[in-house]
Amino acid sequence: MFFIGGAAAVMMRLHLIEPAGALVQPETYNKLFTMHGVVMVFFFLIPSIPATLGNFLVPMMIGARDLAFPRLNLLSWYVYITGAAFTLYALISGGVDTGWTFYTPLSSHYLNTHVITTALGVFITGFSSILTGLNFIVTIHKMRAPGMTWKRMPLFLWSIYAASVIFVLATPVLAIALFLVGLERIFHVGIFDPAIGGDPVLFQHLFWFYSHPAVYIMILPGMGVVSELVTCFSKKKPFGYIFIAYSSLAIAVFSFLVWGHHLFVSSQSVYAGFISSALSFALAIPSAIKVFNWTATLYKGSISYQAPMLYALGFIGLFTMGGLTGLFLASLATGVHLHDTYFVIAHFHYIMVGGAVMAYLGGIHFWWPKITGRLYHDGWARFAALVIFVGFNLTFFPQYMLGYLGMPRRYAVYPAEFQVLDVMSSAGASHTRRRLLDSIRLSSLVHPLWTRSRIESLERERPGMGDAIAASHR
Amino acid sequence: MNEENPSVETYIVVFVALLILAALTTGIAYINLGTLNTVVALAIAAVKMSLVGLFFMHLWYSRGLTRIVVLAGFFWLALMVLFTLADVFSRSWIKPPGP
Amino acid sequence: MALEITGIAIPSLICIFLFLWGASLFFAAAQSPQGAMAIFVVGKQWMWHLQHPEGPREINQLHIPVDVPVRLTMTSEDVIHDFFVPAFRMKMDVVPGRYTSEWFEATKPGSYHLFCAQYCGTLHSGMTGTIEVMSLTGYAQWLRENSTAESMAQMGLQLFSRLGCDTCHLSDGTGAGPALQGRFGKQVTLRDGQNRVMDGAYVRQSILDPASLPLPNYRPVMPTFRGQVSEEHILQLIAYIKSLASGERTQAP
Ligand code: HEC
Ligand SMILES: [Cu+2]
Ligand SMILES: [Cu+2]
Repeated sequence: MFFIGGAAAVMMRLHLIEPAGALVQPETYNKLFTMHGVVMVFFFLIPSIPATLGNFLVPMMIGARDLAFPRLNLLSWYVYITGAAFTLYALISGGVDTGWTFYTPLSSHYLNTHVITTALGVFITGFSSILTGLNFIVTIHKMRAPGMTWKRMPLFLWSIYAASVIFVLATPVLAIALFLVGLERIFHVGIFDPAIGGDPVLFQHLFWFYSHPAVYIMILPGMGVVSELVTCFSKKKPFGYIFIAYSSLAIAVFSFLVWGHHLFVSSQSVYAGFISSALSFALAIPSAIKVFNWTATLYKGSISYQAPMLYALGFIGLFTMGGLTGLFLASLATGVHLHDTYFVIAHFHYIMVGGAVMAYLGGIHFWWPKITGRLYHDGWARFAALVIFVGFNLTFFPQYMLGYLGMPRRYAVYPAEFQVLDVMSSAGASHTRRRLLDSIRLSSLVHPLWTRSRIESLERERPGMGDAIAASHR
Repeated sequence: MNEENPSVETYIVVFVALLILAALTTGIAYINLGTLNTVVALAIAAVKMSLVGLFFMHLWYSRGLTRIVVLAGFFWLALMVLFTLADVFSRSWIKPPGP
Repeated sequence: MALEITGIAIPSLICIFLFLWGASLFFAAAQSPQGAMAIFVVGKQWMWHLQHPEGPREINQLHIPVDVPVRLTMTSEDVIHDFFVPAFRMKMDVVPGRYTSEWFEATKPGSYHLFCAQYCGTLHSGMTGTIEVMSLTGYAQWLRENSTAESMAQMGLQLFSRLGCDTCHLSDGTGAGPALQGRFGKQVTLRDGQNRVMDGAYVRQSILDPASLPLPNYRPVMPTFRGQVSEEHILQLIAYIKSLASGERTQAP
C-alpha cells in the first residue's frame, strides 16, 4: 500500500508543477503545452488506474495474494520514477517544446531544447508500462483462484487485461520511435530527414501505432471501473456481461488498426485514409456496446446516487459526448476540417478527463475505504463530483465550437473573433478572464479540484469501515 | 510446463551459427546483388532472430500459451509494417497533380 | 428484441451513411478539377511564401478570384506546416521533401483566415495570413498592378542560365546532359530499367540528388544543387522545364 500512496504522491507532485503562468511568451507557451501533454499522457493517464487501482484490485479480485511477480512490480515502480526524474529534469532545466507528439523533423532537427532528455524519460517510463502489463497478464492467466473462471471475472479485470495487452504490444513501438528521434538528433542517420532520403511522415506512423492504442490504455481501465460502479450502485447484474467483456478485447485488437486517422492530412495516401476511417467507425461499435449495456444496466435498477456513482454517471455522459464527436473526426471530410483544431482538444479531453479521470476519481472514492480502511466525507465528495462535472463542461464545451469555427490548436495568440468562446472556456477553467487560452490553464480547473477532492477525502475521513457498498466490491 | 533445459552444447552450436551468419551478412554487403541485397540481408536477419528466439529464449522447448504470446507479437509487428507500407505504396495511386 | 434490432440498425445505418458521405467528399477533395488555377506555396518557419504562375509573389497573403477553382502546390523549406483555411474547410500538411496539394473554389468575395495548423515551432501561432477573394475583374486588375517583369517560367529560365544548367542541357541535345525540351510529363526509363514519369517531384529529385536518377547513355556528371537553390527556385525551374514541354515560348525578357 505504501506503493500506491507513493504513486499517488508522485503523480500529485507532477501535477502541481504544471499549471503555470498566465501571460507568457509563445515559446514558454509551447513548452507549457508540451509538458502538459507529456506529463498528463505518459505520467498520469497511462499509469493512473493500472498502477493504483490495478495493483490493488487485480490480485484481490482473482483471489491471489499478490501479483505474479511482486519484485517486477517494484522494479516497474522504480523505472517509472527514473523516467519521471529525467522528464522533470528536462522541465526544470529549461523545458522542451516539441509538443507531446514529437513530430519530426521539428523534433529531430530544428529544436534545441531538451528533446533527448524528455524522450529518454518517456522511453524509460515505457518499460515500466511494459512490465506492469506483463505482470497483469501473467497474473490473470495463472493465478486465478479455483472457481474464478474467465467468464466469472469482474469486468474490471477484463478491461485491465485488454489494456495490458496493449501495454505489451504497443509500447515498444513508441520506444523505437523515440529512440530513432534521438539517433537522428545525434548522428543524423537520415530515417526521418527528407534531405538524406528519410521520410518525416514515417515517424507519424510509428508514433500513432503506439499512441492510438494508448488512448485505449487510458480509457479501458476507466471503462472497467465504471462497469463495476454501475452494477454496484444500480444493484443489478451487469446487463450483457459477456458483451462488455469481449468488447474490451475487441477494442484492444482493433485499436491497432486505426492509427491512420491521425494522418488524414499528413500527405498519407488517400486510400490509407479511407481504410483507417472505415476501421475507426468500426471501432466505435465496441465502445457503443459498452455504453448501451451500461444504460441497460441502469434501466429499472434501484440507483443510489453516492459519490462514486455520480462520477460513473458523469463518465457515461461525457464519454458518450466524446465518443460521438470522435465520429466527426473519423469521418474523412469533416476530419480534414476539424483536424488539429480545438475540436480535437475538446474531443480527447471529453474522453480523457471526462472519461478516464472521472472513472479514476470514482474508483478511488469507491475503493477508498477498502484501501485505507477509512471513509471519505460523502457530502463533500458528491459536491466535488458535481463541481467537476459542471466546470469541465464549461471549460471544454466551448472548445468544440472554437474548433468548428477553425481555431487551430497549439496557438499562443489567436484572432480576436474567437475571444468570446475562448473567454468562456477560460472562465470555466479558472473563473478568471485571460486573453490567452492554453490547455494548461484549462486543466487548472480540474487539477486543483481533483486535489481538493482528494485532500478533502483525506482530511474529512472518519474512522470506521464505512457502509456495505464500500466493503463489498462484488 | 514441461521445460527441459537445452544443454550447453546446444547453446554453443547456436552461438557459432549466429557468428557465421553475422559474417555472412557482412560478406554479402560487399557483393552487389541489386535489390536482392536487402532481401538477403533481411532473410539472414530473420534466421538469426529465429535462432535466438527458439534456443536462447527457449521457445523450442515451450508450448501453448508462450508460443501464442510470441506469435501475437509477430502478428502485431506484421500489422504495423503492412499498414505503413500500404500507405507508402498506394500514395501514388491518386497523385497530387504536382507542379 | 425488435426494439434492440432497431436500436442497433438505426445508429449503424447513420454511421455507414456518414462514413460514405465523408469518404466521397474526401476523394473529391484529393483530385483537383481540370484547368484549376495554379498557385505555388512554400512554408518556412514561420511564414508563407506564395507565388502566382504569372510571377507575382506574396507573403502571408494570397489574392485569388472568386468562383474559380484554385489548386495549391505546396512544399516546405524546413519542418512540416499545414495550410488551413477554415472558411474553405480545407487543410493539408506542407511536408518538406515532397509536393502536396489542395484545392478550393471560393464562392464569396472577402477576406478569410489562413492558419498554419501543424505545430512548427516557436512562432507557430504567428504563421497566419489572409486569403483575399476578389471579383474576376478585381483580380485581373490586381494582377496588372502587381505584375512582375517575369513569369515563374521566365524566372526559371534565368536560374537555368545563372546556375549553369544550360552548359550541359543544350537544346540540341549535344551537351553532357539530355535536352529537356518536350520531356516534361513524358515517361523516362532509368538505367536500371525503372520507368518514371517526369513530373515536378522527378525534376526536384534530379536537381537535388541527380545520382539517384541515372539515365542510360549519359555519364552521371550532373552535380547536386542542394544548398544552392531554395524550394522557390526549384518551383521556378520546374515551371521553366514544364514550359519547354508545353511548347509555350519562354524567352528572356
Ligand atoms: C555538368 C553537367 C550538368 C549540369 C550543370 C546540369 N545537369 Fe542536369 N543532367 C546532367 C546529366 C548528365 C543528366 C542525366 C542524368 C544522369 O545520368 O545523371 C542530367 C539530368 C537532368 C534531369 C533529368 C532529365 C531526364 O530526362 O531524366 C533534369 C530535370 C536536369 N538534369 C535538370 C538540371 C537543372 C535544372 C540543372 C541546373 C540547376 C542541371 N540539370 C544542371 C548534366 C548536367
Ligand atoms: Cu486515434
Ligand atoms: Cu505551424
